Amino acid sequence: MKKGLTILVVMLCALSLFASGGKEATTTTSTVPELKGPGNVTLKRLGYNVGFDVNNDIIVGVTEESTGYKVEYYALPAQNADEKLLMEVASGKDYDIVNLSVDQWRTLVANGALLPLNDLLDAYGQDILKGNTQDVWKALSDEKGNIYGVAYMYPYDTEVNNFMIVRMDLLRKAGIDEVPTTLEGFYNMLKTLKAFYGEEYIILAGPYKNAANGSNSLVFPQIISSAFGISNDWMVDENNKVYYMSESEKFDELVSFLAKCASEGLFDPDWAANTTASVTEKFASGRAIIACGDRNLAQAAIPTLMSNQGLTEDDFGFLGPLEGEDGVCTYQESLNIGKISAILKNSKNAADAINWINLKIQDQLFINIGVEGVHFYYDEEGQIAPINPIFADERGNSFYYIDATDAEEFKFEWPSRIRKSAAQWLAFENVTLKTNAERPEVFVKNPFAFMPASENYAKYNTTLLNSLNDFVLQVMAGKRNVSDIPTYMSDWKNNGGEAVRAELQSYIDAQ
Amino acid sequence: MRFKGTPKSKSEKVFTVVAYIVMTILGLICIVPCLNIFSKAISNGSKVTAGEIYFWPKSPQLETVKYILTKTEFFTCLKNTLIVTVLGTFISMFTTITTAYPLSKPSFRGRKFFVMLYVISMVFFGGIVPAYMVVNTLGILDTYWAIILPFAIVQFNMFVVKSYFEGLPDSIEEAAYIDGAGDGQVLFRIVLPMSTPIIATVSLLYGVNYWNNYFHAMMYTSSPNMRTLQVYLYDIINNNQAMMENLYSGAFGSNVGKTLENITSEGITAAAVTLSIIPIIAIYPFVQRYLIKGITIGSVKG
Repeated sequence: MKKGLTILVVMLCALSLFASGGKEATTTTSTVPELKGPGNVTLKRLGYNVGFDVNNDIIVGVTEESTGYKVEYYALPAQNADEKLLMEVASGKDYDIVNLSVDQWRTLVANGALLPLNDLLDAYGQDILKGNTQDVWKALSDEKGNIYGVAYMYPYDTEVNNFMIVRMDLLRKAGIDEVPTTLEGFYNMLKTLKAFYGEEYIILAGPYKNAANGSNSLVFPQIISSAFGISNDWMVDENNKVYYMSESEKFDELVSFLAKCASEGLFDPDWAANTTASVTEKFASGRAIIACGDRNLAQAAIPTLMSNQGLTEDDFGFLGPLEGEDGVCTYQESLNIGKISAILKNSKNAADAINWINLKIQDQLFINIGVEGVHFYYDEEGQIAPINPIFADERGNSFYYIDATDAEEFKFEWPSRIRKSAAQWLAFENVTLKTNAERPEVFVKNPFAFMPASENYAKYNTTLLNSLNDFVLQVMAGKRNVSDIPTYMSDWKNNGGEAVRAELQSYIDAQ
Repeated sequence: MRFKGTPKSKSEKVFTVVAYIVMTILGLICIVPCLNIFSKAISNGSKVTAGEIYFWPKSPQLETVKYILTKTEFFTCLKNTLIVTVLGTFISMFTTITTAYPLSKPSFRGRKFFVMLYVISMVFFGGIVPAYMVVNTLGILDTYWAIILPFAIVQFNMFVVKSYFEGLPDSIEEAAYIDGAGDGQVLFRIVLPMSTPIIATVSLLYGVNYWNNYFHAMMYTSSPNMRTLQVYLYDIINNNQAMMENLYSGAFGSNVGKTLENITSEGITAAAVTLSIIPIIAIYPFVQRYLIKGITIGSVKG
């Protein structure tokens, strides 16, 4: 409550300040500011919070060597970052570049704190403009076409970022030599393991809720819902009609399947209470045979199991998106805007800020990945492989300093950053690269990836997702059943479901 | 009142036993989480991740502590906190004493008005945004002064000192005036030496306040090298996963990968917390009695 009030007060004050100082944005026709040039100006960049001194990392020198620009770096605090950002911007701090989350960026755009970049990009940012698609630029613009930021896209849109890690040593003992790829095979595997091990092990530990919003916070594994053609909370059918996950024709089958697994003891009895930490602990301690997770789980648990239980790489298997009875398998791409860098109206060096970002893109391989033969090499398949430990020492933190990239090129360069961790790479190879190579058709686009902020979505969607999770958990616990779906849908409508749908539908219709 | 040697009644004995049990449980509630954190800080990383560490370290190691001390800005942040705490406490005590002394004198003209000003500002806080704007306008953002000056005087502490000064006998001060001493001499050479307990107590309250201050340090500083220990701790706790990224570099079983055995995100957090509380634990036994006294003074006269 106190925090909420604080945010409200800060927002109101910030709004009033911006309102008094800001002018209505129009497509800029003014003359483009001239470059002061590298060596003649010190840029100031504000970014998010990280666990290292952002002014003393080796990348600071690397970037200066590459671009010629001296830059001072500042970081927002780990807590109350949004309030601090608003306070600093409202008080007229003269940062040149602010690296923002999408929500922070939307707030600053709405309050008129950001500089339209169209002319600056035309003059000094040609490589930035080429780096992303028109869809991205559209998402970064207002209805008049003013561009208010440059985007750092999630580098690998076809990554399977939620999967399962399996103890193959325990599977082999139970007579299973391969991980399944179908839902039926998955169920049979769980049953076999249960029959063989009984109560000795947790068969499947989950869910692994590692993100604060979006489909990542669902209480059931996405590689299971993929078998029912469910890839996201909101989806669009072939007639361009927006529908919610619970309106999917196979939602009842999905929930029934989850309930059946739970009632047969195939899932962790603590499913409803589990957190990322408890799932990691159960799998890393050897109490669970299979765990829902992502690359972070692989990174934490695999080396621990290898160290404590003497396992080898061969003792781990990975489950990607499962296929349904009729061969259905849909997994949503991770295409989204990761971070946005914007220029504040107070910036005295806007032209140089854009020029600096552009120069960084021209040299992005050197800055982010390093020098061939020193930091990386090309393997027999032509992929970039890091040379450790120098790669981690000298390029480990480069992710923090990225403002924009040539997205296509970076998709090729970025996997090397995962490859510096053997555990993460093991998972990435076995799930993402394998799925891309063998079943690329499973990936479906997120139709709302570039949708601008909308009032009802912001207002209701978290509630909708929470009530969906609650309903599924209640069915899994046997307190409700699939016949209650109509009642749940009635509540869904009362919770703002239709209002959100209307907004999403109008966005889709406008495309 | 009980005289020594008087036998305890049955109900008193029961009360004593219950009191001991309750105090033991409360003590354990306080000490057990500390033991858990300390054990995680110096235990083998794999054991920590596997959830095997409770109240005693397993396969002890100091690599996590070494990592915190050498690879993070622990010492810079400790230095900042020490500067803020020492300098801030000194400034706060100076302003508190020089304000409390005149306000403790009934002969001070306008005394009630000035007391009222302090009472009003104690009860009504202007708000975060105006406070930020004042600090910004003063041009002290991102400096030590931004963390110190907003606490240059805490009204409650000032009133505690004022009450203490009011309780001192006037005759001693009068004798000093007769001997030719000025106001300053009376304050610094007569009154303060008689006020050692309250000065020690209020200094401690200020010191603890500066040491623990997270919010203002977070709000008023932006440069990473201006972080205080509390801000550093928050940053470590929130970023321990990202910090692990580079530590996990390398192939399984290689020298780099070997680091994994001892350092985990949980271990990093535990080590940072452990190191951060060491200075307080080291000082606390020496100042404990003043802290207890401070609470008593506050409750009676505050």
